[in-house]
This record gives sequence, structure tokens and C-alpha cells, in this order.
Amino acid sequence: MTNRGRTLVGLAGLALILAIAAPASTGPKDPGYAKAFSCSACHGWDGASRADTVPVLAGMPAWYLKKAIQDYASGKRPAAEMEPYAKMVLELGVDDVANYFARQPKPAPLAADPAAVERGRVAAAPCAVCHGTTGKGDPAKGVPDLTGQPAGYLRNQMLLFKADKRSPGEPTLSAVKALMKTIPDAQYADLAAYFASQR
Amino acid sequence: MTTMSRRAFLRSSGVGVGLGLAGGCAPAMKGDFAPKRGPRVVVIGGGWGGATAAKYVRLGDPAIEVILLEPNKQFVSCPLSNLVLSGVRSIDSLTFGYRGLRSHGVRIIHEAATAIEPDTKRVRVGEGYLQYDRLIVSPGIEFQTEQIAGLAEAGDQVLHAWKAGPQTVELARRLQAMPDGGVFVLTIPPIAYRCPPGPYERTCQVAWYLKHNKPRSKLIVLDANQNIVSKTGLFRAAWRDYPNIDYRASSKVVKVDTGAREVTTEFGDRVKYDVVNVIPPQRAGTIAVQADLVGADKRWCQVDHVTYESVKHKAVHVIGDSTIGLPVPKSGTVANAMGKICANAVVHLIGGKQPPAMPPVNVCYSWVSDKEAMAVINAYRIEGGKVVQIEQKLTPGQSQAFGQNALGWARSIWNDILG
Repeated sequence: MTNRGRTLVGLAGLALILAIAAPASTGPKDPGYAKAFSCSACHGWDGASRADTVPVLAGMPAWYLKKAIQDYASGKRPAAEMEPYAKMVLELGVDDVANYFARQPKPAPLAADPAAVERGRVAAAPCAVCHGTTGKGDPAKGVPDLTGQPAGYLRNQMLLFKADKRSPGEPTLSAVKALMKTIPDAQYADLAAYFASQR
Repeated sequence: MTTMSRRAFLRSSGVGVGLGLAGGCAPAMKGDFAPKRGPRVVVIGGGWGGATAAKYVRLGDPAIEVILLEPNKQFVSCPLSNLVLSGVRSIDSLTFGYRGLRSHGVRIIHEAATAIEPDTKRVRVGEGYLQYDRLIVSPGIEFQTEQIAGLAEAGDQVLHAWKAGPQTVELARRLQAMPDGGVFVLTIPPIAYRCPPGPYERTCQVAWYLKHNKPRSKLIVLDANQNIVSKTGLFRAAWRDYPNIDYRASSKVVKVDTGAREVTTEFGDRVKYDVVNVIPPQRAGTIAVQADLVGADKRWCQVDHVTYESVKHKAVHVIGDSTIGLPVPKSGTVANAMGKICANAVVHLIGGKQPPAMPPVNVCYSWVSDKEAMAVINAYRIEGGKVVQIEQKLTPGQSQAFGQNALGWARSIWNDILG
């Protein structure tokens, strides 16, 4: 490689680091900053949850967080711990809150067992049909991004799908729920570890 | 109690604001020992409210200097500390340092504030003082020991274990040392007190421990209130697993006799114990009383619902368990919420701007066994400048999944306070 080539690679690497380290967020001046106090006890002020069962909101596409809040508030997605807060966020302004978290940098994934990640990668083919190979999802089809979500949270959602306890009876989710019934319980943790490890 | 002197024990138990200075303060702390060079917020108390407020002032405006006064060098979480009594968790797993706050630029002085001078905007610390632009007081609760005859004289023979720390560990030890067949007596004060569901969670944890380790023992709960004051139906359901609980409502304890090993209720009923745990009646932390921040009841502090500024003294804000008048419980989640909302208001006020009206949130998880938990969730709004509740919701029963969520909540909120 030429010196120039090395420099370009180096600059590209630096740009990548800056892209991760410097979010397009105005922090406390963001109109959603104080409104997000309703979420921060569990999700962190910047949405960078560090608990295995609490989803990361940082970098979550605004359309998806908005949908989640609306579904929690209406009871369509039943969750005793989320419903009251979702109603609060709707009152405060869900767009501001969703945009605020979307602008925060995604944290590095929590540590995972590499063997579980590898088993999950192999087993993830059926998921990839909708969510993509690495789990990035497809906003155009309303398919959420799974990457970097804590493994415990992903596993819990799979169990809720399987038992039809997440958005019960929702026709657009019948395929994913049918798929979950074909996956052995032991494999849930591997799948969760794989998508949790992706960025 | 073998390796710790009584004085050290009491000090680390947080009994009496000001004892942290008993060992003398640094010689440098005389006069204006840290002259103010720009806008400054002083925070009194590094618990759930104060530590959160200190961090969020720095997050909101790094140009504001923040000094946190907290005598204890470590933060011990009250939430989850009932699990230390049942042996499910260690106190070490609930103990954290303040390094994270320092990384946000909070200056921590491990001394107690001894007085507040609102007129000159000074906080006294030993022989010196600190100047402030805005003061955030988060002193927690103090016990009204004088309300129960014999309690003050009993000293460490009667434990509250209502401020997590050495008393929690010692009460767990006494429970473990109690012979099978022994009687554990837990007394609950009248509301308002810190953590409304806490005594009933403690009931579950002690009963769970006895059921598995001392099956011939029983737990007598003497509650000053007419009924379980929080999550009543859920606790009643949980207690079906514990026939060893003898719950007696409207049984306010007014006397403890360590010689006879018995407590007496206001109706004269005497109850013998092998191990006793008296949770005394409470009021705001001593500094709030001394600084005339409490209301006519001489117990709790009234505040503005948007800024948490004291209704009695300008530029002095009060948060956490020592406040009253908002329709919120004295919970860790609420103290954390008040900490960030108050911090944001203070940042706005120092910057000459109108603070936004942000409502608090609440969730109280209660552990009913070693693995299962349940919760009450509250959402609020601000209406006409006052906090009002939008909704209260209970989890549909208890479960291990809610236990997982309770752990997730704890890890997250500890990080929100200290990380």
C-alpha cells in the first residue's frame, strides 16, 4: 500500500471513530433532553442502558421508538411497567423524546460469550429473512433494528412473541410468532447473544 | 459488631447528621475555604436525590461548579437491602463509590453540612463555610426515636436497618443467630415514612428466610397503620405462601423494653420477641429541621412542584424523602426523578431562564421471595404548577420475570445516579 493509501485508510478509520464518538446531539439544549427524564431512571439519560433486560434507546430510529410508545400507551403491547410512562411521554411530546434518543450514540454492546454468539450467527438464518443478516432491520417494512440490544431484552421479547403476549393477536406479527414456536428454547439465548453483539 | 466501635457503627449508620464531623475536620476548612469563582451549586447529601442532582447539574451546564457534601465515602442502596436480611444478596453488592460523579466534574467533600445560612447563601462545614448560588438539600430521613419509650436508651440493641449499611448486616446476623422456634417482631410506623412498601417487602424476606431455615419460627408484624399501605392486594396474595406471618394492623408500638424483650402497643398489648426490628417514625433529615425548611408539622419540607425550591427560603431547593405535598411516595425512583428535574431547574434559574415544568415518575419493585417481585408504577403530569397523578398501575401479580425487571431497574438507576 502506498503512503497515500495508508493515509486514506487512516482518515477513513478516524472518520469512523469520530462518527461513533461525536453524535449529532445537542445534549441538554435538545428539546427532548428534559422530557427524556421520564425514561432515564431505567434507560439512562443518553439512552445507553447498561442492564441486560432494559433496551437501549440510544440510536434507536425515531419511528420505532414512537411506535413502541404508542403501542405501550394504548395497551396494544401490554407491559405494566411501560404503559403509564408511555402515556406520560405522549403528553410531553413523543417526537421530541424519540428524536432525542435517536441522536444519542449507541453504546458498545455488553460482553457476550463468543461461543454463544457464533451459535447464534449460524442459527439466525430464519431471522435474517426480515431483519437482515446482521439484524439491522428494514424501516420501509416496519422491521426493527435488533443490533446492540441487550441479550436479555431480546430473549424476553422472543419469549413474549412465542407466548403471543407481545401485541397479542396482531396479524402483522403472526409470522414472527409462528417462527418463534419452531425455535428450541435453548436457542433463544444464542440468537439474542448474536444480535446483541452486532453494531 | 465485634470489629466496629459503637460510635463508628452509629456514624456509618447515618444516625444524626453532623456525627461525620466528630473526628474533626480538615484544618484547611476554615472561613471561606473554597472561594467561589463562577456559578456554584452546593448539594447536601449524596443519596438517591442528591447524587443524581449533582450529576445532572454538571450534565446540564458544565460551566457550573458543583460541590457535593456527603460524610459517607460509599453509597449503600436501600432498595434491595431487604434481600440482605434473607441472605439472598450481600451488602457489598449494594455498595458503590462516588468515582463516577467525580468523572462528571462533581467535587465531593466527605463532610457533613452543619448549618445553612440562606440570607448570606452559605453552608457551614465545620469551622468553615461554602458560598453558593443555589443550594440543593437532599438530607433523607431522620428517626423520631423519642416517639417510642425506651428506644433511645436501647441504642444498638434495637435496630432500624432503615438506612442500608451496618445495621442491615447486623440485623441479618441476628436473624440467622435466632434459634428455630424464635419470634421475630417487626414494627411499622404510621405513614409518612421512607419507602411505603418497604416494611411489607421486609416481611416477605424475613418470612421467606424463616420458612426455609427456621420452620418453627414466626414473624409478628405490628403495623401502626390500619392496613398494608402499599400494593395491599399483591402483598396479601404473596403472604399466602408464608403462614409464618402474624400480621396485626392498627398496632402502633409505643414502648420497647430490651430487658423483658418485649414491645408494647398503644392499646397496652405486650409482644415478646427474640429478635426485634423497630422501624421508628420519621421526619426530614436533621439539617432540614435546623435550617427551618420544615413546615408547621416540624417533620417535612414543602417545595415548589416545578423547581423544588423551598417555600420557606429562596435559592434553597429540597428533594427526596424529606419533601412532602407532592402526590408521590418517598421512594428511590422519585428521589432520582426529583434530583434530575431540580438540577435542570437550577441550571435554568442560574442561566436566567424559565425552568420547564417536568413531572416526576415512580416505580417501586418489591421482592416477595428470593426470585419473584412485583411493582407499582406511577405516572404524573404538571397541572397549574402542581404535580398530579395520571395513572397508577400494578403488575399483574408477582413473577420471576418481574424479578428480572427489578434487577434491571436497580442496575440502571444506580448507573443513572452514580455512573
